[in-house]
Amino acid sequence: MADRGRFVREHGEIDVPGLSLAEIMREVLAKGRPFRFRARGLSMSPFIKDGDVVTVSPLEDAAPRTGDVLAFLHPTTGKVVVHRIVRQSPGSYDLKGDNAAESDGSLPAGRVLGIVTRVERDGAAVRLGRKSGAVVAQLSRTGLLRKAVGAARRTGLRNRGRR
Amino acid sequence: MTERIGLEWAYGPSEDVVVREIEGELIIVPLVAGVGDLEDELFTLNETGRAVWQKLDGRKSVRTVVSELAEEFDAPAGVLEQDVVGLLTELERRRIVVRKG
Repeated sequence: MADRGRFVREHGEIDVPGLSLAEIMREVLAKGRPFRFRARGLSMSPFIKDGDVVTVSPLEDAAPRTGDVLAFLHPTTGKVVVHRIVRQSPGSYDLKGDNAAESDGSLPAGRVLGIVTRVERDGAAVRLGRKSGAVVAQLSRTGLLRKAVGAARRTGLRNRGRR
Repeated sequence: MTERIGLEWAYGPSEDVVVREIEGELIIVPLVAGVGDLEDELFTLNETGRAVWQKLDGRKSVRTVVSELAEEFDAPAGVLEQDVVGLLTELERRRIVVRKG
């Protein structure tokens, strides 16, 4: 057999820089396909934790609702961010990380890449809070979710539920 | 089982891939089972692999690709042929390239 090592980079885990991730995600979604990648950061904890595998699907004709989690291009950094809709108005969304202190502000719909449709942790699906989206969004918007997460951490409670 | 690659055949990138060059390496994301999977299906080519990839335009035969590479890299065509066929076999199996002619 030919030496594939001459051509293929052998690697365990490749670090795809944020801007490149955005480009790849945008192109995959533009083909009408979902995009699966490993999320980094704590801003959506406990629903999405650092290292969880997130699937983002194209919006197509679906209109996102309050409580849905969107992938979008951050207006300043241009990198991909995954946060929840806490309020919406025609043509724009107010987004916020469930565990973030501050809202992202109002985001034009054109900066939305897609909607998060699946989260996996250790190979199992994790609840994303979409079924009770409006309630979760309200808790996230008012900061109560962040406080509840802190309280749950102190008491050792965790999000173990499956979708 | 994949058919042996013919030297007169021509290959080109599948439409079901997304390709980006990142820090000197070619990153290929095959849309396996309809999903662009950066977590499990990412495929990367090094500089030599990229040289092969850039010649896969759907028109050049495998023999021509090998011949051009042998000249560019000053390497024996016989050895290169085996390697290029091996790479194409893997790329075709992953549906990253398709036979165009």
